[in-house]
Amino acid sequence: MSKKPFRERKLLQILCASYAIIWIIAAIDPVKRSDWLLENLLVFGCVPVPIFTYRRLPLSDASYILIFLFLVMHTIGAHYTYAEVPFGYWLKETLHLERNHFDRIVHFSFGIMAYPIQEIFVRITKAQGIWALLLPSAITISFSGFFEIIEAVVATLVNPQLGAAYLGLQGDVWDAQKDMGLAIVGATLAVSFGYKPIQRELGVSLNKENQKAG
Amino acid sequence: MKTLLSFSENRFLQVVLVGYFLVWIATSINPLDRQVWAIENILVMVLVTILAATYRRFTFSNLSYLLIALYLSLHAVGTNTGYAQTPIGFWLKDMLGLDRNPYDRIIHFAFGLLLAYPFYELVIRTGNLRGWPAHWSPVSIILAASVGFEVMESLVAEIVSPGTGPAWLGAQGDEWDMQFDLAAALLGSLAIMPFTYWEERVATKLGSPHE
Repeated sequence: MSKKPFRERKLLQILCASYAIIWIIAAIDPVKRSDWLLENLLVFGCVPVPIFTYRRLPLSDASYILIFLFLVMHTIGAHYTYAEVPFGYWLKETLHLERNHFDRIVHFSFGIMAYPIQEIFVRITKAQGIWALLLPSAITISFSGFFEIIEAVVATLVNPQLGAAYLGLQGDVWDAQKDMGLAIVGATLAVSFGYKPIQRELGVSLNKENQKAG
Repeated sequence: MKTLLSFSENRFLQVVLVGYFLVWIATSINPLDRQVWAIENILVMVLVTILAATYRRFTFSNLSYLLIALYLSLHAVGTNTGYAQTPIGFWLKDMLGLDRNPYDRIIHFAFGLLLAYPFYELVIRTGNLRGWPAHWSPVSIILAASVGFEVMESLVAEIVSPGTGPAWLGAQGDEWDMQFDLAAALLGSLAIMPFTYWEERVATKLGSPHE
């Protein structure tokens, strides 16, 4: 957490500017405009949240960096309709995979969003102990599940004939389960690593080591 | 203010427990597929053991125990024949003119409807949450648990019956089976939320904090 106003947070300014530039470049000529628009509904829905809550709830640099990285990956995915991201093709060639795995990487990264979610949650609720670990990961995982529901609804609306294939399953019957499984792994890692720094940063728990050191 | 009863004094809980035990016995005597029955009962064993072991440290309200027992009873009925073949489900299918046995969907809904309240109780009493985080957390937990369950189910399916895919799980040919299941659990838990708000209001009026 930082109490500094926005104009003193250099790193945050750089992140915002970089993302704006990346977003614009990706928006100029996407592989498929309709897919790009659909994928960007997520961006339009989520990006305003940290902006409008910034005054009340400024997050740590670590959280903003993670959000930035996730958004950049999603923006690249949206540009290439996910299934055709060059980096994913490169991975496929190099590791001899059956499919372009870029979407899986992003699902995992979504799990990492449990870190900022944990920061927000702990700040609001002052939660400690098991609930400060369980609830932020539950929130993240439930969003992942909610996203799968929304995706199904959208796919049915946009192209009822094509059905599930529309989502880029690439022939995998367990596609949704694997996506969500990766989000679970990501969220578990993020809250485990996030717990200590977030508790310390927010001064919710003053552990003795800190007091000694201070 | 709920008075904490020891188990020997809690007649209501004893009745609930005996009721569930009878249902469990009846559905365990002659299941259609013993292996499926066994797998479906692993989580039940884990859950019941945890509830029993933590009874002294954390006693749920009797309402919560009743809801949990109801959910486990519905689940037990499903384990007897396998979810896709429950007689009640077939009866509903004929009655409502559905194209599949809806029993599993109903249980997913019941998972949210019946277990959101016990989670709410757990969260406000041990997590000390108040306000909207307290009311939304159970919804989130229900949906996340459903997600975890779906992921685990897919792993089990691949181990027990590799290659048959979602059919083994009783997807009954529905390509959106998993998404419908998640949505059912979500709706079930959302349906309980007004009740938790109402209960909080009543508790505040009575001047007693949740305990």
